[in-house]
Order: sequence, then C-alpha cells, then structure tokens
Amino acid sequence: MSGFFWGALPYIALATLVVGTAYRYAAGERGWSTKSSEFLAKDSLKVPIWLFHLGLLMAFGGHVIGILIPKSITDGVGISEHLYHIIALSGGIPAGILFLGGFFLLMRRRFDNPRMKVNTSTSDGLLYFVLFLALITGFGGTLLNAVGLLGDFNYREAISPWFRSVLAMSPDVSLMADVPIIFKCHLLCAMATMIIFPWTRLVHCLTGIVAPFELLTRSNIIYRRK
Amino acid sequence: MRIKAQVCMVMNLDKCIGCHTCSITCKNVWTNRPGAEYMYFNNVETKPGIGYPKNWEDQEKWKGGWEVDGGELVLKSGSKLGRLLKLFYHPEQPEMDDYYEPWTYDYETLITSPRKKHQPVARPRSLISQRRMEIKWGPNWNDDLAGGDDVRQDINLKKIGEEIALEFNDIFMKYLPRNCNHCLNPACVAACPSGAIYKREEDGVVLVSQDICRGWRHCVPACPYKKIYYNWKTNKAEKCTFCYPRLENGLPTVCTDTCVGRIRYMGVLLYDMNGVADAAKTSDPKMIYAQMLGLIKDPNDPEVIESARREGVSEAVLNAAKVSPVYQLIKGWNLALPLHPEFRTLPMVWYIPPLSPIAKKFEDKVYLPQSEAMRIPVAYLAQLFTAGNTQIILQVLQRLLDMRTVMRCKEVGEAPPQNLEFDAYEYEKMYKLLAIAKYSERIKLPAGLQGKTHEELRELQGSAGYVCPGGFC
Repeated sequence: MSGFFWGALPYIALATLVVGTAYRYAAGERGWSTKSSEFLAKDSLKVPIWLFHLGLLMAFGGHVIGILIPKSITDGVGISEHLYHIIALSGGIPAGILFLGGFFLLMRRRFDNPRMKVNTSTSDGLLYFVLFLALITGFGGTLLNAVGLLGDFNYREAISPWFRSVLAMSPDVSLMADVPIIFKCHLLCAMATMIIFPWTRLVHCLTGIVAPFELLTRSNIIYRRK
Repeated sequence: MRIKAQVCMVMNLDKCIGCHTCSITCKNVWTNRPGAEYMYFNNVETKPGIGYPKNWEDQEKWKGGWEVDGGELVLKSGSKLGRLLKLFYHPEQPEMDDYYEPWTYDYETLITSPRKKHQPVARPRSLISQRRMEIKWGPNWNDDLAGGDDVRQDINLKKIGEEIALEFNDIFMKYLPRNCNHCLNPACVAACPSGAIYKREEDGVVLVSQDICRGWRHCVPACPYKKIYYNWKTNKAEKCTFCYPRLENGLPTVCTDTCVGRIRYMGVLLYDMNGVADAAKTSDPKMIYAQMLGLIKDPNDPEVIESARREGVSEAVLNAAKVSPVYQLIKGWNLALPLHPEFRTLPMVWYIPPLSPIAKKFEDKVYLPQSEAMRIPVAYLAQLFTAGNTQIILQVLQRLLDMRTVMRCKEVGEAPPQNLEFDAYEYEKMYKLLAIAKYSERIKLPAGLQGKTHEELRELQGSAGYVCPGGFC
C-alpha cells in the first residue's frame, strides 16, 4: 500500500496536473477565470484576500526551500540544525497565521453572505475542503514537531529526500516509512490538490503568473482583425 | 497618415423622449441571461441625475479614463506596476450595489394564493440570492428627476456650481441614452491584464474575447463611462458589442433600429490612426473636441482614400464613408459632440445637444429664444459635451435654432433672416436629416464583413456567444 501512496500516486497526481491543465485550457478556456467575487461582496474582501495570498506565497516559498535544498548544502555552509529551524519557524509560523487567518476570514465571508453562497460551486466546496485539510495538517504538524511532540522526527531527512527521489524518477518509498501520520496526511492533501487543480478555480494562479508579463510587455491599445 | 475606418453613432438628443425602447430591446437581445441581469449595455439616464452605476461620471471616485502625467498619457487607475498590485483587490471596482440588485416578482402567488379577504401580492425576490428582498435602488431610479436629493448629487451640477440650477421655476432635464462609445483610445483595452479586449481593425468595434478574459475585472473601473460589466456567474467581462453580427451584415445596432424617436444615426468615419495618441494627450481638455475633429478625415479627399486603401479598408466601407450621415453631423455641420471628452478616451458615440424651452426669466421678452435663453444651462451642457467650453455649445444650439427659423420662415412665407452661417439649402438639408430622419438617410452602413449567409447564422443561434462550453464555469 505504501508503494502505491509514495511510489505511484505522486506520478498520477503530477500527470493529472499537467495533462488535465492542458486539456482544460484547450477544451474550456471560456470557463478559465479568477472567479473574482469582489463584485458581489467588496468590503469583506479587502484585507482577507491579502492575508490569504501573502500567507500562501510565503508558505509556498518555504516549502520550495525546505524540500529542494538538501540538508547537506545547508550543513556545508555552516547553518546548524538549530539555526535552520529557527529560520524556518520564524518564516513559517507568520506564514501559517496569515494563511490560516485569511482562509478563515474568506470562508466566513463566503458562507455567511447569501450572495456569495449562490456563487459557490461544488468544485469550490471541494477545493476549500482539501485546502483546509492541507492547512491544518501542515501547520499543525509543524507546530507539533517544533515543540517535540513528534519525537525526534526531521522532515529534512525523510520527506525532502523522498520528494527529490520522486523528482529524480526513482522513488525511495522506504524513506516514508517512519514519517508521522500527520505529515503523511499533509502529503496526501498536497497530491489531492494537484489532482483537482485543473478542474477548479485554482487554475487562476497560472494566469496570475502570466498576466504581469502580458501587461508589462504589450502596447496599450490592441488592434485585431476579425 | 494611416487611415482606419470607424463605425460611429450620433444621437440627436433634441428628439430623445426617454422611452427606454433602446434599453429594452438591447436587454432582450444581449443581457437577459443569468449573471447579466443587472447589465444594461444601453441605458437611458435623466440628466441631471447620478446615473447608472451611481455617480459614474465622478472620476475622483472611480479613477476611470486617462490623464496626462508629465506629457505622457497614463491610465488614471495607475501605472502598470501599480495596477498589478490591484489584481487581488481593486479599490475602485464598483460592486453590485453601485448598480442595483436585480429582482423579479413572485408572480406565482397571484395564481396559487388561497381565497383571502385581500388581493394576493407579487412580492419582489432577488435574482442573485433568490431571497425575498426590499428594493432600495434600481435602473432609472432617477428617471424624470425622481428622488430630488440624489439628482442634486450630479457632479456636472456641482461643477457649474449654480445655485439656481435646480430652482423650482427653472428646473430642467434632458435624457441621455448611453452605450459603449467604442473609443479610439479605449481605457478598458489598456487596462486588461490578459489582453482580452481589442479594437477591431475593420470597423473599430471594441470587443472582449470571452476566451481570453480571465476575470481580472480591471476594465470595469478603467472605463470612465462604466460601460463594461462583470458577469458574476461566468466571471468574465462583458460589454456592448455594437451588435457586430448585425453590423457585419450592413444592419444597424438593435438600439438604433428600434429607436422610436429616430434619434440615432449610424455610419462610417475615416480617421488618422497616427494622430490618436496626440489628440488624447491634448493638454487643455477644452481643446480635445477640436483635436478629435482633426483626426476625422474627409472621405472624398483622394489622399485619404489612397491611404485607406493601403491599410486595407474595403471599397464598400469607403463608399459608405462618402455618404456617411455621421460625418455630415460631426464634421460637416459641427452639430454632434463627444460625451465627456475630458476622459481622453476619444469616444465614437456623439451627441447633438438638445434645445429646451425658454427659461422662466426670459419668458416675457422673447418669442424665438436665443441659445443662452433656454432652460438647460449652457454651462451644464458644456460639462457633458465639451469639458466646460460653452462657446461650442452656444454655436451648436444657435445652428439648430437657425435651422428652425429658416424652416419657419419658409412655412409662413417670410424672408429668412440675414447673416446666417449657411445658405437656406444647407439648412433644408439639415432639416431633412434631423427632423424627417428617414431610416435610409440616418443609417448608411456597408455590408460584407460577414462571410456567413443569414441561413447559416440562424443555424448558429443559441450556440455562440456567452454560453460556457466545456462546463467549467
């Protein structure tokens, strides 16, 4: 079973993400949107949207650093395990608070306002559920680990090398054997997010990457032939 | 010189009776869908009044249109980098309550109600939340000056600052039908982070690609006329299309076709594309109108025709430009003016300002009034159409009055007055186009842009447009 979860599922998730997104773009570009709800409820969006996206970007950056940079490199430049964790937590805890706080405020806005309820689709609901589980397991696991409740578990010696082995196309399933259940749940949430990505409003984050380049490089007025 | 063709509209406000037929026919064709209930691609406002959405003309609030900053033309909503920060939350975006919450009525209770002492009532129900609602605002809430306090909030009134403007004796009003202006320098096009909005080369119609639009909604605040709307259901921007499927077949827009007052004129203008930016940059807003006239070129000038041919303007379009009624009204007689030229988008829907009854204070003294003796203050019209330049308004109104005087003299057999600007024949032509306004004279549009026949188009009905293929909406 662990062979499927940590050896096969990551590839299924990645393939769904790439192929699904390409399919969605080709077949349903007309439905591809940020799904902005500012029009329906403006004031309640002002602060939470910033909290949420800022926390999300910080958390994403932290994951990239924590997973992709091997422990040997940080050890090599003289960053001790203790110092590393202080740096990681000093970025990670504010990120988690912003992310979770923004998420809570946005959810309250979405499910408390009759106008917003109408504009919430099934795929939105699924996305929020998965995102909520990912947030709770990720933030909770980090906090529990920081206060030592998960024993002497070090994700940089288990999850990170496993993830890199997945990227190198030779998954080392044994690395995941002793990972606490809360982090396993977090990883499953992450893969679930990748699988539902193409079919939800999440696709707007790709547009968010493209839009600045589009806007900054083009002329003001666009003429097009019929 | 780079000549392009622009399909253009003129509205003769002197004849608008405010019947809203244009709004209704437009709505039935284009915005009777979920998510678009609140949209009016075309609406008619009573002026003075705050309009739809509320106070749309107040650019201190919405930051719509362009401004000149150090000789450069920049969007009022900020630099490109500044605007990217507004991707998450746009402080100037209007929300639903700035328009109104659309509703229907529980008509069924009229049929299903049990026998009661009192008649059953159809109560209003929100088209958004489907709940019972209390109607607080709606389209045309200010119709015919209803709601006096709101009317006084009209920013044009505040700008002319005349205490007397709404005094009982001299109260005035006029109608202002509005649709997308299909500007030469459209702010919505410039604001779109995805590059989804474009101006068509063939006829100058400004359109939103429903495929490329990503719902960043920056076009909505950027348009100073608030004529681009956010569909809350499909999460894409929508706007007046100038009924392009009809234009391509040589037919006018639905609002033009159905106008019972025959106030709308449609035809082709030829303009110099290279001069657009400079005209929009004119430092004195009062001079923008003159610069716009400079952009519009004589369709009979061989040099203009040659340049147009080089740019691929078709012979049908060139021929339509030669007989264009809008060219005659805008540049021939200088009767039509752009709405709020100070927004610097160079709008291509033009308005002939209306004459109005004699003001109370002049009533005893005159029989046929001079232009400054009319109820609608010239300064107010100047706020709407010339960025405050009253000289132009006076000139236009005087020409309309002269036309009436000449036609009156002809009718009663008097000699026309001396020192008129044009000869009697010209006034008669003006009279025919403005007063008789035959359909075939008002509308001169070239056919032939559309490759499909009517039968093929009919087969496409219901399969094109704003529906959502793929089912990801």
